[in-house]
Amino acid sequence: MKPFSLIRPASLDEARAAVTAAPEHVLRAGGVDLIDQMKEGLARPSALVELRTVSDAPALRELARDGDGAWSLGALVTLAQLAAASEFGAELAALREAAGSAATPSIRSMATLGGNLLQRPRCWYYRHAELVCLKKGGSHCLAINGDHRYHAILGGGPSWIVHPSTLASALLALDARVELAGAEARALPIAELFVGPKEDATREHRLAPGEILTRVTIPAAAPGQRSAYEAVKEKQSHDWPLAEVAVNVTVESGTIKAARVALGHVAPIPWRAEAAEAALVGQQPSAALIERAAAAATEGAKPLKRNAYKIPLTRGLVRATLHRALEVASPA
Amino acid sequence: MAGADTRHTLTLGFEGALKKVSVATPPGEPRPWDADTKTQVVGEAVPRVDGHLKTSGAAKYTHDINLPDMQHALVLRSPHACAVIKSIDIKAAENAPGVSACVALAKASDRVLFVGQDVAAVAAATPEAAREALARIQVEYEKQPFVVALEKAMQDDAPLVHTTAVKERRTEGDEPGAGGGAKARGNIRPAPSMKKGDAKRGLRQAKVTHEAVYTTQVHTHTALETHSIVVRWDDAKQARMTVWCSTQSIFSVRGEMAEMFGLKPQDVHVITNFLGGGFGAKFGASAPGSRLGFIAGELARLSKKPVSLLLDRREEHTCTGNRPDSHQRVTLGATEGGALTAIHVVGHGSAGIGTGAGIGRNAFGIYTKCPNILVESADVFTHAGPGTAFRAPGHPQGAFGIESALNELAAKLGLDPLELRIAHNEHPVRRRQFELGRDAFQWADKRRRAADQRGRNTRMRTGVGVAASIWGDFGRAKAASVTVTVTPNGGVEVRNGVQDIGTGIGTVMAQVAAEVLRRPLSTVTVKIGDSELGSSVGSGGSQTTSSVTPAVRNAAEQVKARLIALAAEALEAPAAKITWGEGGVASARKGKSIEFAALCKKIKGESISESATRPQTYGSHPMKFLGSPLYQIAGVQFAEVEVDTWTGVARARKVLAIHDCGRVMNELTLRSQINGGVILGTGYALMEQRVMDGRSGVMLNANLESYKCLGARDVPEIEVLLTEVHVGNNSTGAVGIGEPATIPTAAAIAGAVMDAIGAPVRALPITPDRVLTALGATS
Repeated sequence: MKPFSLIRPASLDEARAAVTAAPEHVLRAGGVDLIDQMKEGLARPSALVELRTVSDAPALRELARDGDGAWSLGALVTLAQLAAASEFGAELAALREAAGSAATPSIRSMATLGGNLLQRPRCWYYRHAELVCLKKGGSHCLAINGDHRYHAILGGGPSWIVHPSTLASALLALDARVELAGAEARALPIAELFVGPKEDATREHRLAPGEILTRVTIPAAAPGQRSAYEAVKEKQSHDWPLAEVAVNVTVESGTIKAARVALGHVAPIPWRAEAAEAALVGQQPSAALIERAAAAATEGAKPLKRNAYKIPLTRGLVRATLHRALEVASPA
Repeated sequence: MAGADTRHTLTLGFEGALKKVSVATPPGEPRPWDADTKTQVVGEAVPRVDGHLKTSGAAKYTHDINLPDMQHALVLRSPHACAVIKSIDIKAAENAPGVSACVALAKASDRVLFVGQDVAAVAAATPEAAREALARIQVEYEKQPFVVALEKAMQDDAPLVHTTAVKERRTEGDEPGAGGGAKARGNIRPAPSMKKGDAKRGLRQAKVTHEAVYTTQVHTHTALETHSIVVRWDDAKQARMTVWCSTQSIFSVRGEMAEMFGLKPQDVHVITNFLGGGFGAKFGASAPGSRLGFIAGELARLSKKPVSLLLDRREEHTCTGNRPDSHQRVTLGATEGGALTAIHVVGHGSAGIGTGAGIGRNAFGIYTKCPNILVESADVFTHAGPGTAFRAPGHPQGAFGIESALNELAAKLGLDPLELRIAHNEHPVRRRQFELGRDAFQWADKRRRAADQRGRNTRMRTGVGVAASIWGDFGRAKAASVTVTVTPNGGVEVRNGVQDIGTGIGTVMAQVAAEVLRRPLSTVTVKIGDSELGSSVGSGGSQTTSSVTPAVRNAAEQVKARLIALAAEALEAPAAKITWGEGGVASARKGKSIEFAALCKKIKGESISESATRPQTYGSHPMKFLGSPLYQIAGVQFAEVEVDTWTGVARARKVLAIHDCGRVMNELTLRSQINGGVILGTGYALMEQRVMDGRSGVMLNANLESYKCLGARDVPEIEVLLTEVHVGNNSTGAVGIGEPATIPTAAAIAGAVMDAIGAPVRALPITPDRVLTALGATS
């Protein structure tokens, strides 16, 4: 690892000034993925700017609900805090379950909401120090003709990574917004935070240099709203999902009024399964409806040679999760 | 003692099948422990004596060694899977800040054969300085075509891996009698076949046949402590060295370091106080794919400072050995009634640039009622790091092939796969194990439940499978020299240079000495892990306990004989009249006795000390290992899985492991070893696999993130049943358990998956993609 200096700013403005001072200055929150990248030689910052020493922005650490029922989640809130948030009702179950599903207890205690959303992909070509892939300035994505068992089946090309953030699927299903501090403060729907490879294959988010993600907000829940998250993993302790899904449904008088289905680890960005949503809205929950919606979840999938298995796997996952969220008994 | 053998009538065998057997032992041997021997300490579930040191962090491993002025070594490794070195220049590294020594490990015109091969090494004051220096080494490569996939390497037009003769590398971890090769054709080098009867004729006679290809993955050892070695030259003339090494064979390290540096073995002092796992990859001073001993020793010689070489996880995965993959075409023939007429296996496997990709003796040695058996195997060379012995070399692969094929044949015949096995196994202990498991595991009920779930096409399915293991009593004669010492203050010390690979051998040694002297375990101290403590065996081949504990007993018996002579003097009675009682109280017939403490005070000089070894194995009741006079260990495992047919995830819910290891020396450490074998086997069944990139030749998952070892949530409930066997093999009756405990696990799990989903998965690991494919969901 290249030696670096540690800058401990007291204010958000100081932090912004420090990261914009030189391109090799990098913001550190939990530091989980960043230290990984530094050890692998993928990132060689000359200075780390500690977000955790910032004391003039209480919103960074906030986990609060306002009078209308909307939630504000600070960028420094840890995954462990989200996983243990007993104040989250059934409507935020997907976020709680997603946070609790990621990584390990020790990583969850360090890893932050902001860092989880902004981490780099886990693709083994990208992560290999000696390989130069599209994301690292190479001419093409090495997964296309390589081993792409864990790669994208939806929205792929020219890069076929899958987005690594588990919280992103849940937050996309929950219609969250992100707030950014920069030259001018701005807020975006979370879907707009992410950059697909067709737009720019070398990055996964839209933050400008010096911009800092400060918090995530989630609108107040509607009556009858509930959510759920599930992942399929090869290994049940500490593994990245083969696919994950967060569903957010509102059922009123026996009818599905609203539905959001967000898939993770199947596309280069967190992926809305809009055909599945359309199949659900206006219908009465039933096993047959769920089977149809699950089949629609992978509409438009274009698998590579070796990862077509993710299509039935994702459908099965969506089906199981919808059964739970809609409280429709699973077939035996 | 006279030179004649002594004959003993021993009670041998296993519960319900004990027999009186006459066994001859060489002069000086005590009467071997048999089924009639009631032990007090041996066999008990004694916690390991050094457990608190490990759990508190006080135990010092090679990675913890920190010597004054110690230098940190790093190795520059080939980034190419095949290339000729055009030039190599280390000067810039030699002159880099903090560097104390630099050595080229390859020269111009050398051909490197895998990504990760040694090219050069540096030692520097800090690891960071060493890393900066490595980057300054200039190497010019001319890339050559390469092949990393087994099936591609078998093709006629595949790039040739070796252009010169291949030397077979053997270690103490290899199964005795395995290996040996013929001439290579292309990248394929056949190994000797195992043959009985005429398999081709047996297949012609068959009314029902089954043929399929079964494949297994490359599995890396992944010991938690990576390969590591610290070398310090002890004198200015550089005639003696001390080596701290994470090794499972202290004495092979000593021998290899002495040979490499032209020293006498006794001038090389090797220390392995604690060892964080080995699994077969840590025999000798060098790793199979990296000359670690030479590198550390040479850099220490050049720098005149101690040098520490600690591999990182990526190096550990790529150049320190692995379990070769396999491609096995299995053909079975049977009569309509289900009597096997032939087993024919053609196995290919790749140990990368190395040899030893055989598939074990499972197909040949377990279902021996079959009259015609032919097992052919061959090494296939690929441009990848060399394979090496890995806990039961070849056997888990072979078990998966033959057991999976038997399951499919049984399904074709409409037979219960367990009954097919029982009908073709001739080992009486294994038969007992199959029958015990059939009842304890509720085999028939669980099979019916699986059939019902399949019939109803349920989402969640359960299923059960069974598989067997075969291994031998490979305990070695005269290999371990153990010293037992009793001092005037009543202390008992047991010394031997054996390393503890993690199984608790030191604890068992203390138990044996305590048993013989009838002393409390807490009064026995054990010193191991150091070449100055007496020669010993490597921890491999499931032979440590059977090689070391008889030597402990024999030395302790000799010490006891001297103590009895001392007591005879004190009690003024003939030695033959002295009885040795609980606590080490020596009594003469008249009721006169002397306490152990008082007796020890009468020791003249510093101590009573005796060293002993053990002789050749004397017997092997009730069944021999193939083609040898040694005992054949039997083992059987039953597995239950749950499969989510919607997502393809298969999870091992329960494993019942039924094993024989001779006399049980310590039930707790034994169960722990079996648990470890099952956990390793479950990971092999469901997730562990090396992934190579065909385009670049690199290993894509040389880490612990995407190389997936079983985690806590993935471990099945493990139940262990012990079928203790009294073999009459050595003075303690110990055999071994390390390797048999992992052989059948993956095969049993694969059988359970087939039972659950009604279709075979013919490739390991059984990941969701393969389950979904077997279910027809991906077509």
